[in-house]
Amino acid sequence: MTFTRRFILAGATALATALPAAAQELPGNVRLVIGSTSTGGDTYQNSSIVADALAEKLGINIKVDAVGATEAFKALDRDSRGTTLMIFHDQSYLGNLYGVRGYQDIFENYTVGPTVAINPGNAYLVPKGSEYQSMDDILTAAENGERVRVAIQPGGVSEIGFSAMKNAARVRSEGSEENIVAVNTGSQSDKNQTLFDDLADVINGSIQANEQFTQLPEDDQKSMRFVWITARPATLEQAPEEGMGDTTRDQLLQYASPETSVTLDGEEDFTFDKEFFFLYNPEMDEAIVEQIDTALEEIYAEGEIQERQKASFFIPNFLPSDEAQEHLREKRSTYDEVISQISGDNS
Amino acid sequence: MELLDIISPLFLALIVGGTFVGIVFGAIPGMTATMAVAVCLPITYSLGLENGLALLLGLYVGGISGGMVPAILLGIPGTPSSITTTFDGLPMTKKGEGEKALRIGICSSLVGGLVSLLILWLCAPLLADFAIQFSYVEKFLIILFALTVMAALSNDMLIGIFSGFLGIFIALIGTYDISDGGNGEIRLIPPGLDYWLESGFALLPVLIGLFGLAAILEEAERGVPQSQSAADVKIGSQSTFSFSVFRGQTVNLLRSGGIGTFAGILPGVGGSAASILSYSNAKTFSKHPERYGTGEPEGIIASEAGNNGLTGGALVPLLSLGIPGDSTTALLIGAFTLQGIQVGPLFIGNNPVTWDAMIVAMLIANLAMFTMMYFAIRHIARIVTVPKHILFPIILMMCVIGAYTINYGIMFDVWTLLIFGVFGWLAVKLRLEIAPFIIGFILGPSAEVYFVKSLESFNDLTIFFTKSWIAIVLWVLIIGSVAGSVALSRSRQSTTADA
Amino acid sequence: MNGLTEVTIAFETSHLVFPSLIAGVLAILGLAILIRERRSIAASGGYWRETFAKMDKLRFLGTLALTVLYFSLMVPVGNVWPNTGLGFLICSIPYVFLSGLIFLHDRGLRAVAPVAITALVAPTLVWWLFTDLFFLTLP
Repeated sequence: MTFTRRFILAGATALATALPAAAQELPGNVRLVIGSTSTGGDTYQNSSIVADALAEKLGINIKVDAVGATEAFKALDRDSRGTTLMIFHDQSYLGNLYGVRGYQDIFENYTVGPTVAINPGNAYLVPKGSEYQSMDDILTAAENGERVRVAIQPGGVSEIGFSAMKNAARVRSEGSEENIVAVNTGSQSDKNQTLFDDLADVINGSIQANEQFTQLPEDDQKSMRFVWITARPATLEQAPEEGMGDTTRDQLLQYASPETSVTLDGEEDFTFDKEFFFLYNPEMDEAIVEQIDTALEEIYAEGEIQERQKASFFIPNFLPSDEAQEHLREKRSTYDEVISQISGDNS
Repeated sequence: MELLDIISPLFLALIVGGTFVGIVFGAIPGMTATMAVAVCLPITYSLGLENGLALLLGLYVGGISGGMVPAILLGIPGTPSSITTTFDGLPMTKKGEGEKALRIGICSSLVGGLVSLLILWLCAPLLADFAIQFSYVEKFLIILFALTVMAALSNDMLIGIFSGFLGIFIALIGTYDISDGGNGEIRLIPPGLDYWLESGFALLPVLIGLFGLAAILEEAERGVPQSQSAADVKIGSQSTFSFSVFRGQTVNLLRSGGIGTFAGILPGVGGSAASILSYSNAKTFSKHPERYGTGEPEGIIASEAGNNGLTGGALVPLLSLGIPGDSTTALLIGAFTLQGIQVGPLFIGNNPVTWDAMIVAMLIANLAMFTMMYFAIRHIARIVTVPKHILFPIILMMCVIGAYTINYGIMFDVWTLLIFGVFGWLAVKLRLEIAPFIIGFILGPSAEVYFVKSLESFNDLTIFFTKSWIAIVLWVLIIGSVAGSVALSRSRQSTTADA
Repeated sequence: MNGLTEVTIAFETSHLVFPSLIAGVLAILGLAILIRERRSIAASGGYWRETFAKMDKLRFLGTLALTVLYFSLMVPVGNVWPNTGLGFLICSIPYVFLSGLIFLHDRGLRAVAPVAITALVAPTLVWWLFTDLFFLTLP
């Protein structure tokens, strides 16, 4: 027993000395939780790129843990020392806007930190043989009383473009939004499958996951065609010129605003960029917020991280905390407007 | 680049090393192939695509195969896919045939792996086209067919089926997950427990709780009789392994490997369903189904050929649709995107060399797995001779690590381990049956999604019979399996009545 | 088609469809078991008394109590040195040692020594492997 106790004591003393002397710095071992449970997905990839760079810059350890949104928020709630940080994307406030369980108002309950990157891939597709050639065709069809079924994963990033479609239909002709209906599914595989099974006319997808399907010949049951890419043109323009797969950036731009217009209010186009940003415990020391801002600013100034992000088809997008907060608040209020405009019907 | 340039000493070393680490991960209760791939994924960034894949595929094949070791020797499935291996593996170990059981498992794994690799190599794109013919309806029927094994595994039909449905019921606790197509609402949570139970009980902690902790609690209750350990279990001395075990098993081997491959091809079905499907099939077609669950080599053959068949199968949708067939292959997508390579229907055509390299890596990984395990088995099997007062605490500790790390650090998963450890102990006292329970628990969530989505899409119950010819075939299998179980249970009853 | 087989599921309440169905089946099966087994259920008081009497209470309850303690302490202890996995290491050593001790029948020095060594070596090795090498999060 004494042996055990001595061992513990020795270990404890050794580690106690390694504790940070001042509390206003990030501790030596940081856990970065993310809002996704997938370690192969875009949130994880993005977070690990940022975590690597940040860890190297600050000389600390950062572990990325894919615990999922619910557990990530819980972990963040429990810890205000800066030992737990979170990275997530627009889902964090969209979930709240759509009233999904477990999503609180991030601007109220957490501190929104810097943005780090954009995934410009959010897209809508139709079967290659579809009669709908463009978003305009789809909205016209809705106007003419044709039911258009759109496969989405409800309650967030996948639904916002669908809500925008309904809103555009409403702007164009009051009541026609009723004809754009959601087919609620889950993963990308499920969404694709609804197209193959003819359960949906349009699906939500992404440039990355669906581009190769658009290269298949029309007689292939799996072939698809882009009709809309929701990214801002300014974002998409920063993508590599060769685009993705066999689709060049210029071709991709054809499907985005302003070439493909899904109107927000009759004047402006609706756009959506999936942005990744930090979330902190609201009690966390202001000095740590600044420390991370400064470190990231330096990292982005060096320019190496951008190369890694671009190699994985992300658009570098660093905004320090205060700018990020303002930007995301504005973004949220736009989408809040869209959602409340079309609410009342079944979305 | 040519294929021969890729097959470098490093490439080979990575496969063999990956396979070894994978086996170790698989062999530790609570550590899975998925986790092995997850922890090594970041390393692959600097290795380049082909070398990175070599490592990951080695880990994958090794991890799935290593799961049989604790399943057979300790009755604790090392990974969810080796669950059916415990049914006949542990009884064989108790009869002193642990080493023999392991050798049977290893050989079956190799055959299963090779069968699926061959299928993958020859007809991946074709199979992907077939797989997309499976809508919600057909997927539900596949799950239903896998669920029929509940009946086959029951000692007492009524109680067994009750246990199975209880497993489904408990699996439904928590959120109807949006990412599976649900509406994100919670259900079945006792008041006040929302905070803990909203994500439900995770599979792996439940599994190791029921099979690991519960068994240890049972031993503790009996006072951990020491005599039973070292002296009693003579590994391998009582019945030696010879390849004659496989006489008459060719069909079983090929069928199980094929079923495993096929289960892997269907996104959302694969994973744990692979070995359950092949086990239930083998039992349905067996000449002596009554011996299943009592230490029947056929059962191990079916289970292990099935779960290694999964490895090749799960790569089909990944490489020809860009969609992972199970949780491990989902991580492989990460390896591709890290290198900026797109996976989708054009992958094989656009990257023929990478594709060939993957096939070669899988082949070598299977052979390496076989060689390593076959020759190390005598030493591995000695684990049962470790005194229990040393072995049990270590198993308990490893279970904690497994439970905590499976979802990247959630303490509730560790408590789940304890809850289901106690539940497992109680269940035996209550004469509930664990095997059907766990099958229900594993398959419950997919059964729900596919059932509800089928009705949501088609609004008619008859769709389950009229959707396609595939549905009809599946019904024939389901009815066959149920009828087999009923007949078996009848004959068992009449023999007990005669006696 | 036949109106009898038609089913409409509202997405908002779709989370209750399958649980209700399963609950229904469970209730029917449970009832059948109750009826068939009514005698043995009625006599179960004695069965439990016997189980409890036969139980090795020190080992069974001791294991349970230790495990509860082990799980409860891991996180608070780990919180002192966040994200290092030390909570796991510090709690595992006494846990492995004490549970080994409980399982042991003859607690002479010769028997305790291997338990003590295991208790030191196994958690430390595992802790090093998982936090340092595999970079996983432990409490």
